[in-house]
Amino acid sequence: MPGLALLDRRLLVVTGKGGVGKSTIATALALLAARRGRRVLVCEVNAQERVAPLLGAPPAGFETRQALPNLFTANVTPAEAMREYGLMTLRFKTLYDAVFENRVVRYFLRAVPSLSELVMLGKVLHEVRTEEHGRPRWDLVVLDAPATGHAVQLLRVPGALLETVPPGPLRRDAEWMHALLVDPRKTSLQIVTLPEEMPVNEAIELEAAVRTVLGVARGALFVNAMPEARFTPGETSVLSDLVAAAPPLGPAAAAARLQALRAEQAGRYLARARAAIDLPAVLVPLLARERWDLGAVEAVAAALEPALAGASPPPAGRR
Amino acid sequence: MGELSAALQAKRIAVCVGPGGVGKTTLAAALGLGRALAGGKVLVCTIDPARRLANALGLEALGNVESRVPEARLAEAGLHARGQLFAMMLDVKRTWDDLVARHAPDPARRERIYRNRLYQQLSSALAGSQEYMAMEKLYELATERDYDLIVLDTPPTAHALDFLDAPDRILDFLGNDTARTLLAPALSAGRVGLKLFQLGGSYVAKTMARFTGAEVLEDLAEFMATFQGMYGGFKDRAAAVRALLAEPQVGFVLTSSASPRAVDETLFFHERLRAERMPVAGVVANRVTRELWGPGPLPDAVELEAALAAQRVPDGTLASRLARTLAEHELLARADAREVARLFAESSGARVELPRLDTDVHDLAHLARLAAAL
Repeated sequence: MPGLALLDRRLLVVTGKGGVGKSTIATALALLAARRGRRVLVCEVNAQERVAPLLGAPPAGFETRQALPNLFTANVTPAEAMREYGLMTLRFKTLYDAVFENRVVRYFLRAVPSLSELVMLGKVLHEVRTEEHGRPRWDLVVLDAPATGHAVQLLRVPGALLETVPPGPLRRDAEWMHALLVDPRKTSLQIVTLPEEMPVNEAIELEAAVRTVLGVARGALFVNAMPEARFTPGETSVLSDLVAAAPPLGPAAAAARLQALRAEQAGRYLARARAAIDLPAVLVPLLARERWDLGAVEAVAAALEPALAGASPPPAGRR
Repeated sequence: MGELSAALQAKRIAVCVGPGGVGKTTLAAALGLGRALAGGKVLVCTIDPARRLANALGLEALGNVESRVPEARLAEAGLHARGQLFAMMLDVKRTWDDLVARHAPDPARRERIYRNRLYQQLSSALAGSQEYMAMEKLYELATERDYDLIVLDTPPTAHALDFLDAPDRILDFLGNDTARTLLAPALSAGRVGLKLFQLGGSYVAKTMARFTGAEVLEDLAEFMATFQGMYGGFKDRAAAVRALLAEPQVGFVLTSSASPRAVDETLFFHERLRAERMPVAGVVANRVTRELWGPGPLPDAVELEAALAAQRVPDGTLASRLARTLAEHELLARADAREVARLFAESSGARVELPRLDTDVHDLAHLARLAAAL
């Protein structure tokens, strides 16, 4: 497979069904980019922070915080994004405070549909385009997006506003946000799934929604926790007969039989995903790890590396 | 009968909650089937079942309508139900529309609400809308039907708390006092839309229009105007739903996997239910990898090679692959055991651990086997 030049983009959006390992894949991609010498920010959106803890760092909160060399994290929350956006739009803190710090008004703003999505997405996209000293503040922003339905809701806000909002400040913001999202040189969306029924179904629906509703360029389908085909069908059938044998063979055969069944089943769901989704599939092997920590992310990153090699410059060396 | 089924014996409503991707829908279906097999008129209300599970329950084409799972279908799976099993799939938009129709004073008002863009967004896309409607439907079913047990599957929430908070949040929005205060002059004059910016020259309204755009506020004004007089009905209903959830006839079933993240979320939710005095019937740890090897060192390739030779199985690299597979299995099983112990130590009610099965559960025969374990 030719190398996926994903890490050359400015924004990688990572989404998929809940519980498929979005944060792990997003963090591993960020880690790879950071190790290649890029300055990387991983944004979570109104989440219980997972990325910083995965990297062994304390939760970042709304302010960007360095977790590892070149690698920063942030958790974008609606209230703080609203405040930042409000200050930016109104330009005067006193004006903002007078109006927006009013408890009732704040409540009202939170209740207007899509407004919190708009300001949260706006914050992330603002980070993508902000420059410092004549160069981008971040070489790459990785958006660890919410699960499928919520992600589509989040990403479609600029496009939806363009359809409904008349010219004005809100429309201008929607315009640049939309332009950035649908620019295939800058933005690429990754779908994460597991080789299981529901996650694959959801990945198929999500891919269609990305194509038809969002118009964001699609990068790759990451199939997480893929068990390897470790035993031949012949071996599996022999081992199935040995499950009741005395230890050590019985338990080992039982473990092998379960592994083989799981691999066979995963293979079927992978085939289904491949048939329905016209994207390069990146397989992330099922890793036997007792804890999900930086070591696990490094293992995932190492597994991703071959698929991402190619157009990107070689690693800048481990720090 | 399993521990969880016993805990639900005296309940009329079982609400299955938990993080996404742990098999909630399947467990909800199994609980319902189990009770129907034992005798009892049961309804399983699901949100977004896997296609084959939906097919198994006969939900191919139905939305928001209860339909009976035919006895012939159960018989095909070798099952005989002493009771009756019904299933339905929740249609969020339809439930909203029904709710509006119930509270609207006249058809013209109802149609105006249906057409409002803000309402369309609210009823389909607003976060929390699904959760609210699941509760709303549950209340309707519980008060207007005669099921012995209703099993409600719940939508996967971004945050476990959404489930309890969403109704309040949406109701507060519908009955938002700020909005009414801001829009009151326009409302009382029967003028909305373009007149909005004349809200007594309101400084607040002007600033907000600058922020949200004029049209958003216009839609909102119209929405508030059409909803006027309906808040009372909505609020009373939501209070009743909330009260229903705390009744002893309700049992929450918390479903988790053995992943640390799922366990964290489940315990968080458990804590919240306890704080709200909502009855927890039990906790299920689903898809747990079980240990196959006791304490003591794991066998290495040499030992396994000898064992294979004794069984006259040709080896090659099989012994080393077996050793690795067993070692990985045990590593995962130990991690799972640790998480399940944590889940069970900090939760209350029935506790059920289900092993990771050889295949996906997607037909009635498999569901019945699962039900027996619950």
